[in-house]
Amino acid sequence: MHTNGANSEQFENLRLELRRGCLAVAVLVQLRTELYGYAIRKALSDQGLAIDENTLYPLLRRLESQGLLVSQWREEDKRNKRFYRLSPVGEEVLTSLLAEWRQMNSALERILAVPAGQKMQEQTQ
Amino acid sequence: MTQTDLIDRYLNAVKLWLPRKQQKDILAELAEDLHSQIEERESALGHPLEEAELVDLLKRRGSPMRVASGYIPEHRLINPAMLPMYWMVLKIVLIWVLAPMFALIFIAPLFNSQSPGKGLVAFFVTAFQSLFFVIGIVTTVFALLDRYHSKWVDRWDPRKLPGAPRTHQQMQWYNDFSGFAFGVAAAVFWALTMWHRSAFVFNGGFRIILTPIWGQIYWLVIALTLARAFVDLYCFARPAWSPARAWVRLALDALKVAIALVLLRVTSWVVIAGADLSPAETAKILAWLNATIQVTLICAAVIMLFDWFRQGRLLWRAKKGRSTPILTVS
Repeated sequence: MHTNGANSEQFENLRLELRRGCLAVAVLVQLRTELYGYAIRKALSDQGLAIDENTLYPLLRRLESQGLLVSQWREEDKRNKRFYRLSPVGEEVLTSLLAEWRQMNSALERILAVPAGQKMQEQTQ
Repeated sequence: MTQTDLIDRYLNAVKLWLPRKQQKDILAELAEDLHSQIEERESALGHPLEEAELVDLLKRRGSPMRVASGYIPEHRLINPAMLPMYWMVLKIVLIWVLAPMFALIFIAPLFNSQSPGKGLVAFFVTAFQSLFFVIGIVTTVFALLDRYHSKWVDRWDPRKLPGAPRTHQQMQWYNDFSGFAFGVAAAVFWALTMWHRSAFVFNGGFRIILTPIWGQIYWLVIALTLARAFVDLYCFARPAWSPARAWVRLALDALKVAIALVLLRVTSWVVIAGADLSPAETAKILAWLNATIQVTLICAAVIMLFDWFRQGRLLWRAKKGRSTPILTVS
């Protein structure tokens, strides 16, 4: 979805905010299976969540420094690649994050399901 | 230019901005990703990438500085929670302290300067130096607060917050702070101008000699002006009215009125000497100077009496319970 004119900057800022947390969760989920950077990007993109390489690699590094990921350099197809996977701590954090995300998502769905007029009526009663 | 050349140039430019300890690791991963991307692109096109295509790919990847910036941990100088306070302090210092200081201290020498051009340049140099010095000091204080006492922002109690001013008293804080700023500026001005001063000497040897009364009230004026300024500052910081504050202000104002009255009892505040003037002209200038001082003193006394009356009225009304006293008394 795109907006025009003066609203586009606000939309872009909010979109980035919305994406930031989601991307971290998506990367953590994807790394339940060991993958290297480019493959993570491809896998996410194939599932409809495109991620810029300049976002992905710093994010991987940050998640690793937080102990949520582990990585190792290994040769594959005659090239050295850095493979990432979820750490045991990352698995725990991901479980909690997914629970939080599901709760937020269902709350949002409920909010969206109630028409605005009906909501006003309920509040005034 | 070969493909390897272009990639090496790009990676080298990224390296320049990366944290030293992580350079090797980040660049290796970046190079691997670039090669994967190039491979994919070449297999889609069915031929090795040409120079223009590789340039396009690298450009879409982003400038070296932008790429590197993603790996640099975010540093902040001041806690975002403290930013509103930082801006407020900066504005207060610049508008209420520095601006009057410029007006009182720095602009004055311009009028005495033999060369207005040089004076103007000196003024701007001093003004900019002071400006950057003040901004630097305020920023450093807040950066240190953030570094060593960042948790104080979260240590608070709703019961200890200053009382909220009522709608019709919203401007009281403004009066209090301006009272403080101008009080300090006036005290500084008085202290610098009158320090061991027995006469003002002008070009051509013309002198305005101060009578001893000015030396006798020198410290008293500084003490009273500063005391009143700090009472204003206290009221600004904690804008809740109390009879004690009103009494303190009443007492200070009463002392100031007393000084004005003592001064008014003197018939001659200055004498003039050294001028190449006739006795008639000298007498005329002297009368004009003394009359000006007299009128100034009377005006000051009237203003102080008016303020004294306001404080007294508020106290009286509060005592009678006829109306809620205003939260701050200026």
